[in-house]
Amino acid sequence: MSVTKLNKTSEAARFMRPASEVMRLKRMGSGHPTRLSFLRILLRRLRSSDWQVDRPVWNVNANGVGHGVYRVKSDERTYSLVAFAHDLPDDMRSDRVIATAWDATFTLFDGDPTPDDIARLADNVPYQEAGRVSPKELTLARANRSVRLFKHVVDALSEGRQPDTNEINAVRYLMRTTAVYGSGKFGASDRADIAQRPELAAPFQVEMLTVWLIRAFTVDIVEHMAAEKGGARAVKLDRDTRRSLGVGNSTGLGMAPFIVRHPVLLNNWMIAREEALARVRAQMDADPDAILGLKDAHAAAILNAVAWHSEHPVQVRKLHDLRRDLDLIASQLDTFDWAVTLPWNELWLWGEKTLTYEGQEALLALMLEPHGALIDDLADHMGADEAACFRINGAMSVADLRGVLENDYAWALAIDFTTPENIARFWYVSEEKLEPRLGERATEDGATLEQPLCIARLVAELYVTVQDYDETKPVAALLLAHPEHRYALRRVQITKNHPYAEVHDNLIAANMLPVDLLRCKLAYFGASQFDPRSDRWVRINLFAGAPFPDEIKTECMG
Amino acid sequence: MNTNPHDQTRGDSAPFFHGAEPAPLSCNEAASLCMKAARGAGMSWGMAEEAGFSASWLVSHGIDGPSYLRAHLERADGKAWEDLCPTITPATWRNAADHAVCPIILGATMCDYADLPQGPAPDAVIQLGPVSMPILLVPFLAELARKNALKITLVGADGTICIEDSAAWLDVAARSLTAQQLDLTLSVKAAQPHKSSVPTTSKSCTTAATIAALNTLAMRTTVPASEASRASAGSTLSDND
Repeated sequence: MSVTKLNKTSEAARFMRPASEVMRLKRMGSGHPTRLSFLRILLRRLRSSDWQVDRPVWNVNANGVGHGVYRVKSDERTYSLVAFAHDLPDDMRSDRVIATAWDATFTLFDGDPTPDDIARLADNVPYQEAGRVSPKELTLARANRSVRLFKHVVDALSEGRQPDTNEINAVRYLMRTTAVYGSGKFGASDRADIAQRPELAAPFQVEMLTVWLIRAFTVDIVEHMAAEKGGARAVKLDRDTRRSLGVGNSTGLGMAPFIVRHPVLLNNWMIAREEALARVRAQMDADPDAILGLKDAHAAAILNAVAWHSEHPVQVRKLHDLRRDLDLIASQLDTFDWAVTLPWNELWLWGEKTLTYEGQEALLALMLEPHGALIDDLADHMGADEAACFRINGAMSVADLRGVLENDYAWALAIDFTTPENIARFWYVSEEKLEPRLGERATEDGATLEQPLCIARLVAELYVTVQDYDETKPVAALLLAHPEHRYALRRVQITKNHPYAEVHDNLIAANMLPVDLLRCKLAYFGASQFDPRSDRWVRINLFAGAPFPDEIKTECMG
Repeated sequence: MNTNPHDQTRGDSAPFFHGAEPAPLSCNEAASLCMKAARGAGMSWGMAEEAGFSASWLVSHGIDGPSYLRAHLERADGKAWEDLCPTITPATWRNAADHAVCPIILGATMCDYADLPQGPAPDAVIQLGPVSMPILLVPFLAELARKNALKITLVGADGTICIEDSAAWLDVAARSLTAQQLDLTLSVKAAQPHKSSVPTTSKSCTTAATIAALNTLAMRTTVPASEASRASAGSTLSDND
């Protein structure tokens, strides 16, 4: 396609979906990974630039205990995953943040670690929260084996045969991470100190690199243990089987507050994806290669939906919707007239009329897939300089504030916070484990220590104050008289310039599902096979189907 | 509450340092811990965010902001807003009862008033009166000076500090503004646009005692365990699969 045919932002603007449509929990909770997801951004960079990947250290014994180093190196920078493999008794294996030991622990080191660095890390990384890393480290992570599959694969390979396909398909990862910490946690490097590096400018790139290298480690360690056990009989994992394996991840409620606490970042993620969809819809005609690409992506989505299992009733229903919708899309593509003007928009409008939220958001991902040249530049705009948006504009008049509240927060002001079902829950931090939790206001103590996560209610309280306040005064005066509104007022000013900053729903309602917040964030990570274990706890898979370090340079993938 | 220093089971970013060993916090950890501690000491959430900003700005500029914040919070703990906030008139921003003003409230409010007539505009001279732990005011003034191209001067009994486009003033501030309380006057002149303040390459460490004290305040924002709370965290399904 010629450059002149690529629609510019101004031409695409009329195809943007409004925040009132996009920022609803039900739709956010139906999000699918796209080519703008963070792991896809990482893989594109690793493939296209001069990064080389190797494993300079492998010091692991027959029981699978020891350490290895995986290195990603360019002319300018080196990043090294230092992996510690442990021998964990079964009864200590838990995915919760409250676990105290893991099958493997990791840190991403900024550079080439010296033996002294490795020794220092060996004294700290295995202890995770009770250890301490330094600004030379970018992440801290841990993973547990999928006991069933890990043992099966080691046993099979050690006996010279490939693992059973059904066993592989039932799990699709050898290990799952239970935390990947970055951004200065436990003494690691601050995000602000590395965000200027081009390869780390997009969100969560150090975390994604950590997980991608952990994936290589999970295969290396099963092959190592199989070789130790089976000797000359042992074989390596078939490369197609290996390719189908990702890294599992287990995530709880702790992830939900993040997207509420980072409104500018959330806005930038959303607006990039929405701009991408709008650009695709704004194309006057369809490129034949893009049509083929769409059909390939659809075929892959069907396979993914078949492989995707969950026992959670909500997700079972959504999977049913998704599979049905993917079939509807197949029928539509069989007969679709691509010769019409604005064919992608026609397809999208059909989808909006016909499909459930699951299907619509899946269609979005499919439509973006063949349009890398048109949309991949948007990945450069998904990070956020949050400090630049922190300062309050005290000169804004109370009248203007009232206008913003009535325009941008009409959805919040419409909620009746006097009914029990609309204030049924409260978010708090547990004293015992310092993890975020969600309590029942009517039956549990602690609501006086509520975290400020229900923005709708805080904004509604601000609105009550504003209605009785002199409209000609500046908000600086209002804040001096009412310091309790400072948090909400900062949000309102951010939202004025960031239309996709807020989740347009009541986050303390009785029927609110925390997993919807988790799914939204995990889809941006690039997670597949979202599998809720409860309404606030979920397992996913990262990098399944993606190239391994020894494959990434030799093949074309988006 | 479990206070075992090697309890790995707490999703806690505050490290367990001991005695006089240096306690380096990342800026993110300093901001997070200080915000929670400020909230625990009674600040509103929005003002507690400002406390986190001030303390972590100081850390990134080589000054132990968390320890100064701790000193201030221990004095201000439990006091009413009226006893900590300034009363704003064109020439004075003193507290109405002449108590020491909270440097976080003062700094944040000064930024709020940056473009208003009673605020720190060029040629303004503002009596601040007694200010608690005035080093904590500095990050706000530095940001204000950069944003509005101002030269801001703080005058106290012991000398003068001029916030301008170089790093030298910060060393002076670290020495002279770290008293528990100082009587200050602020004056403002127009200046050339500043470059953004350059953080020093080495961040400040804090102390184990400061972290413990801030943690104690921060823990006031948490909810004690109950059976219901334990039961609703996570899932009832086994993870050993």
